[in-house]
Amino acid sequence: MVKAMGIDVGSTTVKVVVIDKNKKILFKHIENTKPRIKEQVKEVIGKVKERFKGEDIPIISTGYGRKLVEEAKKSMTEITCHAKGIYYALNTTGTLIDIGGQDSKVIVVEKYGRVLDFTMNDKCSAGTGRFLENTAARMDIPVEKIGEIALKSEKEVKISSTCTVFAESEIISLLAYGEEIGSILKGLHRGLITRIVGMINSVAFTPPLMLSGGVAKNRAIKEMLEEETGYSIKMPEHPQLIGAYGAAIISLEQNI
Amino acid sequence: MAAHSMVYLKGMINLKKRSEIIKKFKAEGGQIAAIAPYHYPKALFRAFNILPVELWGPPKLNTLESKSHIQTYICSVVHSILTFHLKGNLSVCDYILIPHTCDSLQGLGSIFLDFIKPEQKAFTLYIPRGRRQVDIDFLSKEIEKIYNELQKATGTTPDKNELNHHIETEEQAVSMVKKLIKNRAYLNTDDYTFYKTIRSKEYLPAEDFIEIAEEFYKTYKIDTPLNKKPVILSGLLPEPMEILNVINEKDGLVAGDDFATTGRRLYPKSEGQNPFVRMAKSIVHSPPDSSRGDSVEARLNHLIHITEKTGAKGVIFFIVKFCEMEYFYLPHLRKGLSEKGIKSIVIDTDINDELSQQTITRIEVFMETLK
Repeated sequence: MVKAMGIDVGSTTVKVVVIDKNKKILFKHIENTKPRIKEQVKEVIGKVKERFKGEDIPIISTGYGRKLVEEAKKSMTEITCHAKGIYYALNTTGTLIDIGGQDSKVIVVEKYGRVLDFTMNDKCSAGTGRFLENTAARMDIPVEKIGEIALKSEKEVKISSTCTVFAESEIISLLAYGEEIGSILKGLHRGLITRIVGMINSVAFTPPLMLSGGVAKNRAIKEMLEEETGYSIKMPEHPQLIGAYGAAIISLEQNI
Repeated sequence: MAAHSMVYLKGMINLKKRSEIIKKFKAEGGQIAAIAPYHYPKALFRAFNILPVELWGPPKLNTLESKSHIQTYICSVVHSILTFHLKGNLSVCDYILIPHTCDSLQGLGSIFLDFIKPEQKAFTLYIPRGRRQVDIDFLSKEIEKIYNELQKATGTTPDKNELNHHIETEEQAVSMVKKLIKNRAYLNTDDYTFYKTIRSKEYLPAEDFIEIAEEFYKTYKIDTPLNKKPVILSGLLPEPMEILNVINEKDGLVAGDDFATTGRRLYPKSEGQNPFVRMAKSIVHSPPDSSRGDSVEARLNHLIHITEKTGAKGVIFFIVKFCEMEYFYLPHLRKGLSEKGIKSIVIDTDINDELSQQTITRIEVFMETLK
């Protein structure tokens, strides 16, 4: 039976997807990225091969560690893979926002999951998952809870620093002045969303808006993005797996 | 004709290092002129037995010295030239020429003349922004002024015949660059090797360059074109040069360029008997160029022309950070290209930085989007 594998080696997590010829996900796996990526990837792929014993499944790698996947027949950028993955996951063209650990991307996706336009925030960690992670750590709150806490807050404190490092200092000052954690977190989310909206405005925006990446699991991001843009946002079932899913589809399409 | 798909032949031409060329030229009684970017009358210097060696940085330099003297928002080419001098590396040169290419280079010219006052004779050269007869007249006077200065400095007086001889040799070297670029798809080598070779014209005597370019052509020429995705590069210079490897690894080929180092200096052949006018005419009639203040329309038409001629699928604007004259045109050029269905991307770099992973990803995405 024809199968294809996509592996997305991101800065925060490694994602693997195996699909069948109908693009149906047969297997999925996510784990945190370790410092020795090459070895980690070998191990992960070994486990998948064990699961699909005797089958020769072609692999396409993506993500910032894509070139470290020796078993891959080809590597593709995460932008191309996300575009492909979201198109088939949601069955629509549109504008995809992918907020990853290391960078954020806004991708205009056309028919068949082709990239029409894109922009990346890659020169600074403000506007990425790392921005939220760092500040959550500074406040001693698990990152998966910050969205809920932010949404519960009525008040919102404006965070003026556009840099992750300076934002951390600003948060310390705000806490020292007795500001509530929830209102600080709401302000932080607003800061990130504002940067993303700036990126949306710089591409050839086509509705609907779609969201992928690890940060998509944060409910506050989705709700505040909808509030800021006025568009409702479509979410795939597995937002974190979209890159790996797209890589697997490309592998299938190109018959590598 | 069938498309050619083969493994690139790399590094088969032996290019001597810039320092070796300088040493040899000086040992044979010649002198050296350091030339800042980028239009200048090369033949004029050669007529005085002076080898012009161009200063495009050098790249990948730690520019700590210049940062204490000039603003950090001045481009890295200017920072590198100043640092290179402050480190004492220009002491091998007998002359320094700083053309008024942009405000930053004009500023650098003033710094050299008014504050640094180097041991070497330093000149500036004002390149007029227009393409009219009056601009040719003005530039020929500027060139004649430098001739007079060099005459005083060297004690020699090259005559009209000598000047015209060197003009023709330089024109032959330019013709060789044109031939190589025109035949790019039929030269089985990677873009790094290709640009390393054509850019050796920045420091080689024209006669040596012609010989190397001919050998290069013979070595790499194939009968069927390379089966690669052609793209056009635009900007000042391909630095860091690793960008070329990224394009090739994504199955791309630089089919032509609008670089200040190469494409914008494919001067037309000159006519007439007055060597100063000939040199001025060549520069004034160079291809459309941001430093010449050409209209958006002229630059756009030129880019569309080279894109269509080479069958290129897209244009990569490879911009040196803070280069105002390049940035100014970009929105108009990109809009015009897009209207013609030509994709484009802007990549900004600092010539002293390594190519970042993020930049590599941007270029790779662009190459992946080209059909």
